[in-house]
Amino acid sequence: MRVRAQVVMVMNLDKCIGCHTCSITCKNTWLKREGMEYVWWNNVETRPGPGYPRRWEDQDRYNGGWALEGRKLRLRIEVKGEYRPPALEDYYHPWTYDYERLFSAQQFDVQPAARPISLVTGEPVDVEWGPNWNDDLAGTDLIDEDSNWAGLQREVYKQYRDVFMMYLPRICNHCLFPSCLYACPRKAIYKREEDGIVLVDQERCRGYRYCVSACPYKKVYYNWKSGKSEKCIFCYPRIEVGQPTVCSETCVGKIRYLGVLLYDDDAVEDVAREPDPRNIVPRFLDEVILDPTDPRVVEGARKAGIADAWLEAARVSPVYKIVKRWRVAFPLHPEFRTMPMLFYVPPLSPVITEGEKALGAKVSDLFPLVEEMRIPVRYLANMFTAGNEELVVGALKKLIALRAYERSLNVRRPGEAEAARKLLSEAGLTERDAEEMYRLFALARYHERFVIPTARKKVTVKGIGIVRP
Amino acid sequence: MRRVSLLAVLLAALVGIAVSMSAVVVTAQVPEVAVKYVEGAIPLDPNSPTWADVQGVDVQLASQALVYPVAPTAESRTLLVRALHNGTHVAFYLEWSDDTRDVAAPGVLDTFPDAVAIQFPTRLGQLPYICMGMVDNPVNIIYWKAGVGAENLVAGAGYGLSPEQRDALGLARSPVSPVELLPPNAQVVTAVATYAQGTWRVVMVRPTASVHPLMAQLVPGQPISTAFAVWDGSKGERGGLKATSGWISFVLEAAAVPTPETRPVTETVPGPAKVVEVTPTWAWAAIGVLIAVIALLLGLLLGRRQT
Repeated sequence: MRVRAQVVMVMNLDKCIGCHTCSITCKNTWLKREGMEYVWWNNVETRPGPGYPRRWEDQDRYNGGWALEGRKLRLRIEVKGEYRPPALEDYYHPWTYDYERLFSAQQFDVQPAARPISLVTGEPVDVEWGPNWNDDLAGTDLIDEDSNWAGLQREVYKQYRDVFMMYLPRICNHCLFPSCLYACPRKAIYKREEDGIVLVDQERCRGYRYCVSACPYKKVYYNWKSGKSEKCIFCYPRIEVGQPTVCSETCVGKIRYLGVLLYDDDAVEDVAREPDPRNIVPRFLDEVILDPTDPRVVEGARKAGIADAWLEAARVSPVYKIVKRWRVAFPLHPEFRTMPMLFYVPPLSPVITEGEKALGAKVSDLFPLVEEMRIPVRYLANMFTAGNEELVVGALKKLIALRAYERSLNVRRPGEAEAARKLLSEAGLTERDAEEMYRLFALARYHERFVIPTARKKVTVKGIGIVRP
Repeated sequence: MRRVSLLAVLLAALVGIAVSMSAVVVTAQVPEVAVKYVEGAIPLDPNSPTWADVQGVDVQLASQALVYPVAPTAESRTLLVRALHNGTHVAFYLEWSDDTRDVAAPGVLDTFPDAVAIQFPTRLGQLPYICMGMVDNPVNIIYWKAGVGAENLVAGAGYGLSPEQRDALGLARSPVSPVELLPPNAQVVTAVATYAQGTWRVVMVRPTASVHPLMAQLVPGQPISTAFAVWDGSKGERGGLKATSGWISFVLEAAAVPTPETRPVTETVPGPAKVVEVTPTWAWAAIGVLIAVIALLLGLLLGRRQT
């Protein structure tokens, strides 16, 4: 066992309101630079939909991530011999408006217009596509470009009655087995030992863009001005001093959580090579993510030089509770096999069936309805568990049981408390779990959502344990 | 018995191949190109008639062997090289055909620019490793990239120098890459490029004198080894994906002496650039193949006699 620690994010999609504040604040903080106009390290996608860049999940098109050949993992760009990164049109042509004209135009019978202007060339452009073009356009033909329809009849979800939508905020997943890192022939990408953040060394990078092609999430971007590639830096200057990332700090819905996860580096590659993709997430949670209260893990962590402050942070980590203890959050597209270290709590959604079966009906009716929720379980499973519906159902049942339990505490109808407790235990939660979950998900105090240690890792030099200044 | 004879055949074939290969490598170094001296300014425009009059040399380039992450295009190309110097500067005229014009431009994310580079040893004596030098024997590279411009680079030196030495050389204290940009005061390379009818024509000019300890010094009369590389962006070539040549030797002709009175009687007027022909590459290859065939036959014969 080789214990390592990483600062990890969880996003509770139930609470995302699709306001894009995360994207805007990230953009304002890091990306107001020439060459990066089209870049959104953080973006929010309306799903089902094509995403940004357009159809990024379609690896037949973009060749990202790892391909399993027998028991060997090979980069898909290598297998396909395909090198071309996405073009600007795959993202979108960034634009602004000619605001100046609104004031400088001569007085005339008609209102002056602010034409869209290219942020690249400064010339007028026709705006034909954007980073979230299908915002709130559930049920339109654009849902055809979503890649998560396996096992579902997408035509059904264009029907008025069955339309559904959800938001998917995305940043770099700071993977444990990052294909961008392995694709770089110059070794310009590295995963920080101390906190797991994956960075592109701007000194080493020469803009070959293998990483851009190899990242299955298309979260490495080419800066055409500097001729180098850049990616989300997980706001490391903030993390280092115990502050949350800008996207987390400014999240209106308070959907983001930050905390330490300990993981076994020796188990990562083996799990990434799991033949059945549906087993990747269970094995990820069981074999890779470690229990910070396990004495063997603590010993391994100490041996690896992980500071006590980090171990303490791991023990009270909100991320650990959500991901491993309650198992209600999953990585995005584990089948890309990069072992992403960012987890999503799948969203609950209104039930399709109306009337007496809707949420708010008899508690005992709530359970069977998980499969009848507006967002098909299969769709969520295709997105977060490589098709493993059991995991998604398990998580949704917990979330519903939690709601039923909290409701029972407030409504106090005869028999409801017993029924709610029964639901909890069937979902595999104790009342204490439910209270903790409620506190973390609903009340979400700042310092409970963000538990970020600042102490540096101990580095052993010639057998003497010293702390790097 | 059969195994022994098979082994003999194999061994013989290997020896043959090795002989033929070593021969090819040797001949790749032999051509020696004379760089004509011209008085005054050297034309920067590749389309200037001056360049058309300069005798050129066809440099053979082959795709660099590389397997990861993307296999290279297996092909050979020809780079036409012409060179002139005026005492202070040396100019290389480089011409090669490329069906597509791939140029870096604002907002262009999926184009890899076409490029060309010339590599020089940083000092005389033992030739450095041709694949961008070594720690104890670095190379100086002048590099032009379409839409980006010319750079003066050093390769191989980085890891062989102490932080103090690197400081003194104007490089970052710790090396970040095997290829590094020389400091701004050593960015003395200029390039002018044109593209027409599927052909790139690039003139790259650098001072003959070195302006940095890690830059090659070109002294008239002394042979200087150079190697060339070309990148075809439309084939996804960048970084190690490129076509490279072997070492080609150039000699800068001595500057014309200003007054005829002091001109020695024996001096001849500088002739046109010429390639000194030794045994050509193809001949060595043919000899190698012949040896291999003979060895193979011998091996077979031996094998048959033993059985």
